[in-house]
Amino acid sequence: MAVGIKIRELCFSYGSQEVLSEINMVVKPGDFIGIVGPNGSGKSTLLKNMAALLRPTRGAIEINSTGIEDYKRLELARLIALVGQDQQPGFNFQVEEVVYTGRYPYKERFRPPAGVDRQAVERAMYLTGCYHLKDRDLFSLSGGERQRVFLARALAQETPVLLLDEPTAFLDMGYQVELLQLLQGLNLREKLTVVAVMHDLNLASRYSRKLVMLNRGKIFARGSPEEVLTRDHILEVYRTEVLLEPHPMGGPPQIIPISPPTGRKGRERGRKIHVIGGGGSATGIINQLFLKGLTPSAGVLSIGDSDWVTARRLGLEMVEESPFSPIGLEQHRKNLGLVADASLVVLAPLFLGPGNLLNIEAALWGLEEGKTVLVLEPSSAGRRDFTGGPGGKLYQRLVEGGALLMEQFDLEKIDALLATGAG
Amino acid sequence: MRGKKLTLLFILAGLCLLMMFFSIGIGAVPIAPQKTVQVLIKHCTHPPLSVPVDTTGAIIWQLRLPRIILGFLVGASLAVAGTSFQGLLRNPLADPYTLGVSSGAALGATAAMLFIPQGSISLSFSIPLFGFAGGLLALLIVYRLGRVGGRLPVVTVLLAGVIISSFFSALISLGMIFAGQQLRSIYFWLAGGLALKGWPYVVLIIPYFIVGLLVLLYYAGDLNIILLGEESALSSGVEVEKVKKVVLVAASLVTAGAVSVSGMIGFVGLIVPHAMRIIMGPDHRLLLPAAALGGGLFLVAVDTAARTVLAPVEIPVGIVTAFLGAPFFIILLRRYRDQYRF
Repeated sequence: MAVGIKIRELCFSYGSQEVLSEINMVVKPGDFIGIVGPNGSGKSTLLKNMAALLRPTRGAIEINSTGIEDYKRLELARLIALVGQDQQPGFNFQVEEVVYTGRYPYKERFRPPAGVDRQAVERAMYLTGCYHLKDRDLFSLSGGERQRVFLARALAQETPVLLLDEPTAFLDMGYQVELLQLLQGLNLREKLTVVAVMHDLNLASRYSRKLVMLNRGKIFARGSPEEVLTRDHILEVYRTEVLLEPHPMGGPPQIIPISPPTGRKGRERGRKIHVIGGGGSATGIINQLFLKGLTPSAGVLSIGDSDWVTARRLGLEMVEESPFSPIGLEQHRKNLGLVADASLVVLAPLFLGPGNLLNIEAALWGLEEGKTVLVLEPSSAGRRDFTGGPGGKLYQRLVEGGALLMEQFDLEKIDALLATGAG
Repeated sequence: MRGKKLTLLFILAGLCLLMMFFSIGIGAVPIAPQKTVQVLIKHCTHPPLSVPVDTTGAIIWQLRLPRIILGFLVGASLAVAGTSFQGLLRNPLADPYTLGVSSGAALGATAAMLFIPQGSISLSFSIPLFGFAGGLLALLIVYRLGRVGGRLPVVTVLLAGVIISSFFSALISLGMIFAGQQLRSIYFWLAGGLALKGWPYVVLIIPYFIVGLLVLLYYAGDLNIILLGEESALSSGVEVEKVKKVVLVAASLVTAGAVSVSGMIGFVGLIVPHAMRIIMGPDHRLLLPAAALGGGLFLVAVDTAARTVLAPVEIPVGIVTAFLGAPFFIILLRRYRDQYRF
């Protein structure tokens, strides 16, 4: 039976404190929806409203177009099962007894379990890999085993919809992946509709088809994992800077927190720094500046080279040129614009060829305009010059023009430069 | 596994019958088992109102047998109530006393003795009714006090129980100051005991015990599911709050019956459920009958000891329950320490 859930204008308050407001959401049959959001954003409360453990303060939840409050508990228990966070193995029941309690909505009192009950229970135990535990006591199980037993009990309920509240909490990495793969399999093969509150954004994006991101009781974003888990969204909701790296095996990108100590505000106050580089010469410099809380701009970088990848990953303002093409005038003009905006220009130890001489020209122009220009590794300039002369001459003019020279990129010195207001 | 536990249950029932049978013969006047059998057969085959002619027959039929059956019923009631309270509140210290239900029942019974004229027929029927009312009143207050946001957290419920318990005990003491002539009877009743209580008391407690036990057995399966987590129980279709209320009221009913006929007998409602949980496991469908049998067996044994050890002096049964109960509990706890966790 296909079951859809429609949430309209849902508001929920604990006392006077509003926990959820204006939630509109649709769960279609066959969905795999991950609910993400920071602590206290209302994820679990939303799930509990969907499981009818809590009653909305305002708004409505409809299950197949009928209000959730119009269902009897037993009817609802045949449509929606919940794996909550409140499992209390306070009493030493046996695993099989626990899984059998999932048959409650189908069983008459005092009737011994029927064939269908036994089938459902055994299937649930097989699927969750806890059949071999069936005669064990709850107390003797590890946390991961116990979690699988409670999942088995929810599956024994044979509902078209399964709600899970942080199902992977307390599980080690192996069990986390195993459990989510099991859910994914059930979702794909059996069309089980899954709605799971998840803390781990990487797992959420990897296994959910759709994500709903909550922030302060409101839906902040929704859509595919790629649409929801953007750097800006995560920065705003979790107040954490992250990198999005493509997963080596494909699929949605991996989220890597980087969290520079200064945070976003520090970035906005920081001085403008422009890095001139290319071919990987500027990657280390850009990363170090970024982790220090500074957001440099970069120019002119060839599309696809490793400096360009770095700058794009960090979302930096940059000037880019087509691969293997000499820097065009248009790009050069833009680069000069960024130099003009910056208080410090850093020239990375880049290799020089006829195509990128304009990058050095840009640094030189900055120097003439009165900018502080930092030239890195001046001693190896000769070895990096493949122009047959002009490159070396430009470097010479930079040195004569009073550029700061630095053999090894040193963040502390740059700090000192910025602190003394050298710019 | 389940078969093994059912066997245990039958063994427990057999032990109960044996214990009750031999207790009849033990006492200030020892009676041979053959004589006991004779008297029992005679009374069971003759019209119930036939008056026994010999003294032995009178001792058996009018003194010992009702006392033993009453002991069984009181012990069973207290253990069943304790099992339910402990399970529902997930607290190893919960029993009719810590929840204030016993004090409430005692207050109700005291009120009946104070305000209803002594010797009137209605008094003996009023005591358990008043007791039930008092027990329910205590529970209602504890429920209200302990409730936080539509739920019944363990800690607040127990705190409320302790508070109500001491408040009601104070009211009972106050009542005793103004009791006058009834002081003696209230005092002896409160001290707790099964002495000199004949068939009328058995008749009084039986409906409370049977109704309460049946209701509790009916909801035993639901109670099991609630113990695994209330939210999961709700989502698998159990009407959690309703079941909790029904179980609390039924357990209070059973408590009120026991307190009304025998006053305050401690320890049974606390230790027997633990002992039975160690033996039978946590499934209340088996645990409740086991607690009834175990509690009955325990109190009959204790009462027999209380009336024979220092005969002709009778030791108050509450003292013996503590004497026997504490070491018994320690032995069980030490033996099953590794397997038993609450």
